[in-house]
Order: sequence, then C-alpha cells, then structure tokens
Amino acid sequence: MNMSLRKIWLIVRSEYWRRVRSKAFILATLLVPFGFVLVAAAPAALGYLAEQNSSKTVAVVDQTGGQLADSLAAVSDDQLTFRPVSHPTDSVRAAVRAGTYDGYLLLPDSLLTGKGHATYYGMQGGGLTDQIQIEGRVSEVVRQQRLRAANATKGVLSILQSDVSVQNRTIQEVGTGADHTFAYTAIGYVMAFVIYFAVFVYGQYVMQGVIEEKSSRVVEIIVSSVRPFELLMGKVLGIGAMGLTQMVVWAAVVMGVLAGAAPLLALFLDPASLGVPADASSTAVAEAAGLSIPPVPYALLGWFILFFVGGFLLYASLFAAVGSAVEQQQDAQNLLLPVMTPLILPILFLAFVLESPDATTSVVLSLVPFFSPILMMLRAAITSVPVWQMLTALGLLAITFVTMIGLAGRIYRVGILSYGKTPSLREIARWATYR
Amino acid sequence: MAHLDVSNVTKRYGDTVAVNDVSFSAKPGRILGLLGPNGAGKTSTIRMITYIAVPDAGTVRYDGRTVGPWSQQRMGYLPEESGLYKRLRVKEQLVYLGTLKGLSEAKAAERADYWLDRFGATDWADLKTEELSKGMQQKVQFIATLLHDPSLLIFDEPFSGLDPINAELLRDIILELRREDRTILFASHRMEQVEQLCDDICLMANGEVVLDGALRDVKQRFGKNTLILEFDGPDTFIDELAGTGRVRVNTRSAHRAELTLADGADARSVLDLALDRTDELYRYERVEPPLNEIFVDTVGEAEARRMQHESVTGTA
Repeated sequence: MNMSLRKIWLIVRSEYWRRVRSKAFILATLLVPFGFVLVAAAPAALGYLAEQNSSKTVAVVDQTGGQLADSLAAVSDDQLTFRPVSHPTDSVRAAVRAGTYDGYLLLPDSLLTGKGHATYYGMQGGGLTDQIQIEGRVSEVVRQQRLRAANATKGVLSILQSDVSVQNRTIQEVGTGADHTFAYTAIGYVMAFVIYFAVFVYGQYVMQGVIEEKSSRVVEIIVSSVRPFELLMGKVLGIGAMGLTQMVVWAAVVMGVLAGAAPLLALFLDPASLGVPADASSTAVAEAAGLSIPPVPYALLGWFILFFVGGFLLYASLFAAVGSAVEQQQDAQNLLLPVMTPLILPILFLAFVLESPDATTSVVLSLVPFFSPILMMLRAAITSVPVWQMLTALGLLAITFVTMIGLAGRIYRVGILSYGKTPSLREIARWATYR
Repeated sequence: MAHLDVSNVTKRYGDTVAVNDVSFSAKPGRILGLLGPNGAGKTSTIRMITYIAVPDAGTVRYDGRTVGPWSQQRMGYLPEESGLYKRLRVKEQLVYLGTLKGLSEAKAAERADYWLDRFGATDWADLKTEELSKGMQQKVQFIATLLHDPSLLIFDEPFSGLDPINAELLRDIILELRREDRTILFASHRMEQVEQLCDDICLMANGEVVLDGALRDVKQRFGKNTLILEFDGPDTFIDELAGTGRVRVNTRSAHRAELTLADGADARSVLDLALDRTDELYRYERVEPPLNEIFVDTVGEAEARRMQHESVTGTA
C-alpha cells in the first residue's frame, strides 16, 4: 500500500476506534433513539398512566329523591365510584376534607325539571378527564330519569341507548395525492434537518478533536511522522465514519423499536380515544397514534447518505481549519462565522423550497455546493428531481470539497503549530499563502 | 549511520525572518548542541529538519538526500513542549505512534514492551495516559521517540521538568545512543547541560548561527581568559578590578570569584592585587571560559541575560 494511504488508514482507524468504544459514544448511540421513541410515545403513555391513577370516589347528595343517586351508583366503575349519601351537606363536606371522598356531587331538586345545575365540589380542580366522565354520566342518568318521567316507550329508550361510534379512516391505496405530499414533506424535512444537525454536530467533533490535539501538544509529534494533510484527512474520515455508524445504529434502533414497540404500546392505548374501532388491529391503533413511520424509498436513502457524506466532508474540513487556529473551544466562536453562515442559510430557504420545489430559484439554490446537502435532499424528497440535477449537485459538492480541504489543509498546517494569541480571519487567510 | 546537513536555510513567516541563512551539520556518534535563547530560531530550524516545515531557501539533507516523509521514518523527535493523547492507554498509544513511523503493529508492540521494561514502566501499559504523572508521561514520550529505532534523534529541552533520577536515566540513554553511532541533536538553553553532554555546538541568535564547531575547539578559540579565585578575607579588590575595567565578573560569592580578563589585561596584576588584599588565597587558576561566558561574549550581554533569565524562570 502507498505509504501516505497507509498512514491515513492508520489515523482513520485510531480516530474511529478511540471514539466508538468510549462510554459516552456507546451511551449516546443507544440511549438517544430510546429517548426519541419515549418522546414520541410519552403523551399517550402519560395519559394512560394518569387515567390509572385517578380512581375517585364521589359522594352524591341527591335532593331529587334518591333515584338519580342509585342510578349513578349503578354506573360506577374502577376509576369513578359514586356513593349515595343522605347526610347533611355540611358533614359530607367535612368527609371530603377528611379524605373519605374525593369530592361530592350536589344534585338539586330542580335538576329534573331542567332548571337546576348539578355541582361538583372537590378538593382539587380535578382533571379534564374526570370532569368529562362525571358530566357524561350525570347527564346520561338525568336523561334516562326524565325519559322515564315522561313515560317514553321501551322502543324509544332502546333507540336512544344504542351507541353511535364514528370510525376514522384515512384513504390509502391509489389517489389522494395530498396524503403522499404530506408524508414526503415530513420525510424531506426530517432528512434536511438530520443532515443539518449531523454536519453541525460531527463538524464540531472534528474541531474539538483538532483543538484537543493542539492543546495537548501531541500534534507536533504526529506531524513529525505524517504530513499534516494526512492527519487532517484521517481525522475527518475517522470521525465521519463514527458519525455514519452512529446514524445507522440510530436509524436501526428507531425502526426496530417502533416496529416492536408500536403494537406493544397500542395494547395500552384506548382505541376509542384515538377514534379507531375497539376491535381494530394493534397496527391500526399505532398508526392512528402517530407511532408508525411511512416507508422511505431506498433511492432516497442512497442520496441521503451521499449528500450527508459530501456535506460532512466539506464542512468538517472547514471546522478543522478553524480548530487549528485556536487553543480552546470558546476562542473559536468568532472564527466560526464564515463556516456557520453557509450552513444556516439553507435552513432559512427551507420554507421557500418547500413551497415551490420546482421554481428556478429553488433549483439554483439546491445546486449551490454549500447548500445542496440540505436543499437538494429536501427537493429530492418532495418532488421528482431529475437525476442530472442530483449528479450536478454532487459533482459541484465534490469539487468544492477538494478545493476547500486543500485550503483548509494549508491553514491547518500552520495553525496546529501556532500558539498564543487567537489570530484574526485575515491572519488565517494569510496562512494559506505560506510555503 | 548518516550525516545531517543543514545548508543555507532560510525560513520566513509573513514579514518575520525566523531563520536566516543557517548552515551546520551533525555527525553520527556525536551530540550536537543547538543553543540559543527564545526566538533564536532553534524550533523553526528543528521543524525544517523534521520536515514539519519546509525552508523558503536552502536545503536540509540527511544521508545525502533532501529530508521528506522517508526521513521522518528514520528520525525520532521529542519536541520541547509535547504531549500525548490523554485518553489512550500507554501501550496502545506507543503502538499507534510506532505504526505511524512505519513499524508493523507486532513490531511496535514488541518494542514498546522492551522500552517499558527498560524504564521500569511495564505496570503502566494499560493505564490511560491522563492517569500518569508529568514525569511518567515524559518517559512515555521518550519511549515514543525511540520506539522505531531511529538513526537521527532530536531532543528539544528533554530534561525540563524531569526529577534528578529520571534526568540521569535519560542522560545515560542519550549517551548510549551516541555510542551506537546515532546522530543526535540536542537543543537547549541550559549551558551546563550542553557542556556536559555535547561534542559539538551550534550557537544561534536572532535566526542566525553565531558560533559553530567542536566544543573543545570553540573553547580553545577563546583561550584561557578566565580566572578562578578562592580566598579568605575582604573581597573589595574585585570591585576595584572591575571598576578599572580590567576584568568582568562572571560569578561571585563570599569566598570565590570567576572573572573574565578584559582584552590585553594582565593576569598577573590580578594575582598581585588579590595576594595583597586578601587574608589568604587558596586558589588562582587560569582556565578556558565556561560556555556561558562564550555565549555572553558572542551575542552580547543583553541577549545572554535574557537567556539566563529564561533558564532560571523556566520559560522557554
């Protein structure tokens, strides 16, 4: 093997392993997707838990004659128990304070004639769920009592008692383009942001690695064995490989956890609250709860990897150049401006490109090398981008990367051995001209 | 084993000339002392020898060929301020650095074991480098410098921060490397270390070589212009001598003085005065000047003071 390539390979391997086997990396790689799933599933899970905990006993002070209280007692369940009481209101109130009941319900005489209001007195406000539950049952009981009072026939009663449920279904299979647009817009958004964050985070890793090497002064030993450019390349590729590993693991864990956990979670979810029929399959429940992921075309994943790699390489070399100029992370802030600006700009264009992905402006913006990893990915997801545009964007990205890493290498070479005052951008630009 | 030849090398950084037309050579089996204060151009020169930097003009040749990646493999460099990867384990670190110098992994591991044993450091092999004391880290760095059996060795202030026992160990190994006919470059501003270790010296100031040659020749060139006196009794005669400009005082204590004779001054008149004024004169000797005085003589008082100050305060 060529000596230079062998050295780059040795550096890539060392940089990669050193990081991948660290506790921090392993923890982050394994925990982040679980955190992601947790965040996605938290609202449903919490709602379920809240329901479990809210088993309440409500005293019923019935001033209408006792029929209503008995009917309510009959519709009690695990979560909500109605207990008819005949004590004076004051003593019931005291019992609630003492904690015997969670609250009491006052049903005034006028309730049956439709004039009065049932009133619930509790120690706490009570959650929305409780309120809805109590209200629902009271009105049901009152309605039946009134119907009986009006001598309604059995037939009328049974008609009124039959449940009416509405099933929500999304139209799938053919047609309804709107549905697809939404899914792919979401995918495009996610991909654009993942590239943005990945380039940003892993770029910072590279910068931090360069700064560590410089401030620990190990760099002078290394560059007495390898060319600075080989060290730069090895570091960028090693950390890039680490990032790719992490993202692949994340993607696999997220998909695996969703595939395995969605049906499991669905068991805990109340189908009725999601608007699916009670006997719906767990997959359908999970889908309704937003726990499923739409299928992503393989070609799109392929482009995603290419643009991630290209974007990372381009920006990482610039992060490395900035890192070489400073001795501590905080000194890098001002110097990062020219690196961060082209990275953030496409985020500002996102909305426009999303709105009109085929407009000339969008096409041009998505071809600009510093923007293409984010904007071309977005367009690729939401519209059918001609292959020549994709290839042109990648080609331009590659050319820019080669130019930039050459420039970054010249800066890096001088920077890693310069200690003392943090240089200005102008000084750094001059380093590139040194022999 | 081969020569190192630095010929007419110049290096500029922006408008600053760091090294200006510098030439010297180092021979196998000898130790060349590269001397000079901060900013004299020592580090810049060393970086060109180690192919970390490239000269703007002139050439650096090792074994007759211009230095490059090939020579980096045959060379061991211990930078003045250097460090290691903090989170790598000691042996892993050594093997990594060894493979970057072209060793196979197995060979690097084997040699790391040998040297760790030699330094009584086998127990550290699996420790993280950040868990080691400063002195231990320095030993590991020293091992990293020697691991690939280099024929050219460059030590930049290797003794700074070492305790006396480890300094002694290091000195023994440097002398052993010299016996094995390796070419050794030793950069320092500590004159007494250079005087003890080096066969040849190259004195730099302001980016230029101001004095160069075998240590013995250089000393002889300056002649026996130095007087050492040991005595009892009043020492005011020294002030008298210095006041008339006949001598310059190098060092002085209650009972001892080291004086440099001014050009054309009569050594005998110093002896006469000393005999006359002191109660007892134990020693009067004319010797070759210590390196320090040669340095003062060559680069001037101000520059020399600056360097002495650095060596005392340890800034470098």
